[in-house]
Amino acid sequence: MMSRILLQAIVTVIALTLSYALAADTRTLPEDPLNSVMWDNLAGRFFPGEVVIDQRVKVVGPHDAEDQMQVPITVDATALDNVVEIVALADLNPIPHILTLHPTRAQAFIGFRVKLEQASPIRVGVKTSDGVWHVNGIYVTAAGGGCTAPALAHGIDNWYQTLGETRALFRRETENSARLSMRMRHPMDTGLAPGIPVFYMNTVEVTSPAGDELARVELFEPISENPTLTLKPLVEDKLDELLVYARDTEANEFNFTLPVTETIKN
Amino acid sequence: MRDTSNPLSARKSVLTSAVSSVTPLGQLLRNVSDNLPHNYSRRRALQLLMGSACTCCASVHANQLAYDLDVTEIARGTWAIHGRTEYFTLQNGGNIVNVSFIEVPDGVVVIDTGPSRRYGEALLHLIEKTVPGKPILRVYNTHHHPDHIFGNQVFERGSLAAPQQVIDNIIAEADGFSDNLYRLIGDWMRGTTVVAPGVALESDFEEVGGRKFSLFYLSGHTSSDLAIRDDETGVLFTGDLAFYNRAPTTPSADIDGWLESLKTLASLDRELILPGHGLRDERGGSLEQTADYINWLEESLSEAASLGFTMNEAMAQPIPDRFTSLDEVQTEYERSVVHLYLGLEDNLLPAVTVD
Repeated sequence: MMSRILLQAIVTVIALTLSYALAADTRTLPEDPLNSVMWDNLAGRFFPGEVVIDQRVKVVGPHDAEDQMQVPITVDATALDNVVEIVALADLNPIPHILTLHPTRAQAFIGFRVKLEQASPIRVGVKTSDGVWHVNGIYVTAAGGGCTAPALAHGIDNWYQTLGETRALFRRETENSARLSMRMRHPMDTGLAPGIPVFYMNTVEVTSPAGDELARVELFEPISENPTLTLKPLVEDKLDELLVYARDTEANEFNFTLPVTETIKN
Repeated sequence: MRDTSNPLSARKSVLTSAVSSVTPLGQLLRNVSDNLPHNYSRRRALQLLMGSACTCCASVHANQLAYDLDVTEIARGTWAIHGRTEYFTLQNGGNIVNVSFIEVPDGVVVIDTGPSRRYGEALLHLIEKTVPGKPILRVYNTHHHPDHIFGNQVFERGSLAAPQQVIDNIIAEADGFSDNLYRLIGDWMRGTTVVAPGVALESDFEEVGGRKFSLFYLSGHTSSDLAIRDDETGVLFTGDLAFYNRAPTTPSADIDGWLESLKTLASLDRELILPGHGLRDERGGSLEQTADYINWLEESLSEAASLGFTMNEAMAQPIPDRFTSLDEVQTEYERSVVHLYLGLEDNLLPAVTVD
């Protein structure tokens, strides 16, 4: 008698669990070309709404990471119109979210470098103004340990004295587009290396002198030490400089102005 | 019981103390397998020891791994094992490097030791077969990269010699190299441990077993590169300062220092060059080719970095025709972008004032 009640209880629990599970994501996600165990989870967290796999999202990176602390990735979604947001993820990093780009008045393009904890898909979702997420990615093999190793800066006693030191270039490439390449000193601590609390650059904003936002990037822990970003803001003929504002998780703020260099070279 | 039919047993027993101090597991396995009847292989010994299905799978493969070392007499009494001009793979087991040995009046001198303990053992067999009964008096490490030093453990530590900076580099970096090689070549690395040379070289020449060797303390491929000339035969062993028809590698490189070292090497009297990778070279083409390539590497990457291109865009640049026939050039070029680009950006992107 008791066992029958127990059985009924178990069946009820299973049924309830199943119904909750089914209700959790009513979308039918496209099959993941990278066959990642994290696909359902990450799509649920980062790509709400319609999701399509789209080869027009070009994700360029090495097949094999030579340095897992500095894995170079370039995303080019300029083949899509009306891009409002670009989200980059490393599926198998302990912290998967790499960055989000809002290309307000910029091409749907970004170059960056990422720390990899192990071989992982690098997945990029590009949201267009109709709310659809266009997703593509690559698989990068790596030796591992990128996120839990201390930054090289911690081998230098006075690393904080060079915090925010910047090298940058803003160069016109076409009549209405320029390339911004910037590299800032920052340890980008993930909080996962023993004894080193989380400390990273989390915001980069690019504006015109009139104050119009051209591009905004939210950065997260996996971005490599000394973050190096490449963006392509749209520039009108009369725009001859731009302003960059950056901030880190300790509210240190960095501002600089860059003139447009008039070399067109492709 | 040790198998006394093994021609190497005498030499091996001399080495046992050195090996056992660094590879307790490897030595334990060897003892177990040596003490079993003949039809018991090391694989069986492993099974007995570990008793796990997983270990069996790995060791089935292990039993089939054997280096096929291709030895050539490149000068009188001088033999070179030309490694394949490839990158590390599970198939080649890291047999991608040139290792050589020289018969001198009273013994044998070895230059570099290969990528693994297993390679070191194969090298010992080959030396014994080629120059039977002669003692190994000196083993040089030209620099600290893993394909040149991981056979060290089969030699007596007191015979292993390198400049102090090479020894320091081995102590600092070889553990990391070892982790990576276990990943790249897997079971070929079984039992391999890091052994740093016991002798720090300082003098400009050494008399070994009745033969004079000139030593050149250079740098550029790494922070310390040793080149060695056998003053009797005139063979110049450049280590990885010279590559021939195989793309140079740059994980520890300083290009300007490397170019200087190549000039120094080009000015030396010699009969023959044995580069670190690629075929022996009679005319010095390896020195010219290596200089040409690393010079192009620095110039083209400097241009890309100063224009703000991403590393991925730099990697996609075309490689000039004169280099496309170099083995592994595409892979090595892309690796070099990662090695060199950060330093170039730090120098070439304009500094800006930050508020």
